[in-house]
Amino acid sequence: MQVKIEKIENIYIFSIEGNLDSNTAGDLEKKLIPVIDPNNTRFILDFSELNYISSAGLRVLLSAAKKLNQFRGKLILCSVKKDIKEVFEIAGLLPIFPIVDDPEAAAQKILQ
Amino acid sequence: MENIISIQILNKIPEIKRVCDAVADFNRQHSLSEKIIFTFHLAIDEILTNIISYGYTDQNDHNIDIHYSLKKNQLKLKITDDGNPFDPTQAPKPDLKSDLEHRKIGGLGIYLIKNMMDDIKYSSENGKNTLVLTKKCDYK
Repeated sequence: MQVKIEKIENIYIFSIEGNLDSNTAGDLEKKLIPVIDPNNTRFILDFSELNYISSAGLRVLLSAAKKLNQFRGKLILCSVKKDIKEVFEIAGLLPIFPIVDDPEAAAQKILQ
Repeated sequence: MENIISIQILNKIPEIKRVCDAVADFNRQHSLSEKIIFTFHLAIDEILTNIISYGYTDQNDHNIDIHYSLKKNQLKLKITDDGNPFDPTQAPKPDLKSDLEHRKIGGLGIYLIKNMMDDIKYSSENGKNTLVLTKKCDYK
């Protein structure tokens, strides 16, 4: 798994590539969770290059969402492949993680 | 074409990738769908992660055996380990409804697999756990 991190104005964009599983979830956790604070509360996760996610990956995303919730922040997923979206659906996570088609739609939604 | 693969690994998390890769290669060689490739990647990853993370009370090396086969249009994944007896088919349904603040994530891996497979059977005999998962595919 590779993570590319950009900050545009006050929005963080994490582009995650490869597999998010028990081997790699810890790496994303170290990069994502500490960045969340009262001054950094808007996050877009771009999944266009993400091929696979397991419950270990979902666990990290849920921790991030919980931490952001304390600061009334927002986390939006974009460009999510069909099989990965189905994992979110089965896990009952669609009400918690807004999913939009592309980074532009995510930027619009996060500014609402 | 060979229709069965057998792999033995040690109870270490980095070993999981070897099994996932071998099974994905097998599925691609048999021209199975991306959906099937994803589903078995998830099943192997979740089950082996569970066994390796929670299955052992000692610090010793243990072997885990994986057999993956295709017969007619049915895929079968069989995983045998000598860890603590644990029947994932009896695991409670995870929390799928609470709001973000109260949502717990435990048990999701097993729940995902139960939803994606056609059948899962567990047995415990002579100190060994055996889990057999089956799913129909479009192989002809």
